[in-house]
Amino acid sequence: MEEDFELLAKFKKGDQHAFELLVRKYKTTVYNTIYSIIGNAQEADDIAQEVFLKVYTKAGSFKGKSSFSTWLYRITVNKCLDELRRRKNKIISYETGFNEEEKLKLKDVLASREKDSTEELIQNELQDIIQKAMNSLPEKYRIILTFKEIEGLSYNEISQVMKISLGKVKIWLFRARQKLKEKLAFLYPQGE
Amino acid sequence: MSCKKFRLLLSAYLDQEITKDEQEKLLEHLKTCSACTRELKYLKQMKRIFLLKEKKEPQEFFETRLFARIRSKRERFAWRAYLPVFKKSILAVLIFFLLVVGLLNYRNFLYHRPAEIISDLLIDTEIEDNFEEELLEIYYGPLG
Repeated sequence: MEEDFELLAKFKKGDQHAFELLVRKYKTTVYNTIYSIIGNAQEADDIAQEVFLKVYTKAGSFKGKSSFSTWLYRITVNKCLDELRRRKNKIISYETGFNEEEKLKLKDVLASREKDSTEELIQNELQDIIQKAMNSLPEKYRIILTFKEIEGLSYNEISQVMKISLGKVKIWLFRARQKLKEKLAFLYPQGE
Repeated sequence: MSCKKFRLLLSAYLDQEITKDEQEKLLEHLKTCSACTRELKYLKQMKRIFLLKEKKEPQEFFETRLFARIRSKRERFAWRAYLPVFKKSILAVLIFFLLVVGLLNYRNFLYHRPAEIISDLLIDTEIEDNFEEELLEIYYGPLG
């Protein structure tokens, strides 16, 4: 965190290399957050560029009241929400249902204990299946699950990034998991 | 506490975000409630699904593309760097202009009103000439 503040301070003084280091450090995090929320690799890449462009132009307005990563996540969420709002006007939909083959694959992988035991091809397909499950959720649940499960943020950090109370973080995560459970109902046989 | 409330706690328990007191109550409940125990198992499985999700890298030349965009943006808006200086100059010119306009108007205001009053009192030159002719006629009889 201290390192981020130092880099940002250097960048504010005109050190372009400091900004490059910040981009290098956070590009994967930002990209994966967006990809998990938006569900499209090309769009995630474009939005990630927009996020860093905003950081570049707005760095001067960052007062350091929160950590740099919280500020960065906040910009990322806002950019994702802009994109989702744009989509609402356009009617873009991604497939969210699972076919039998996908259901079996997910069951098999979850049945095996080792993550590395799955072949690379299956791993790639599995990523698509997980993303499909995410795409099927309402946007606020997608965002909160991304921060918790993909980025591993604490409830406190999520509350700061999403500007919601801790109570709401708990309830939204609970509901998000319930929704996801409904979508993945084939994994949970009745009466088991 | 009802099962419904324990379900809410289960989600937070999974994330290690509950108090010690809540945890004790939850673990006590799980000993006797098979439905909540099964729910916890499902939730753990779901968490495992996300652990399977691998971190992806952005597309190729992410930084190169980003810095090219930054450069082009900087060039396009290079004039903005001079904006603070421009702003001050524009402000100075504006103030000077307003002062000049204000001063002129003030002078007009001062001298315009008396001029208006005088013009009201002034007799038309034609009437004045006629009046003069009439006077001469009175004194010296019809002219020419």
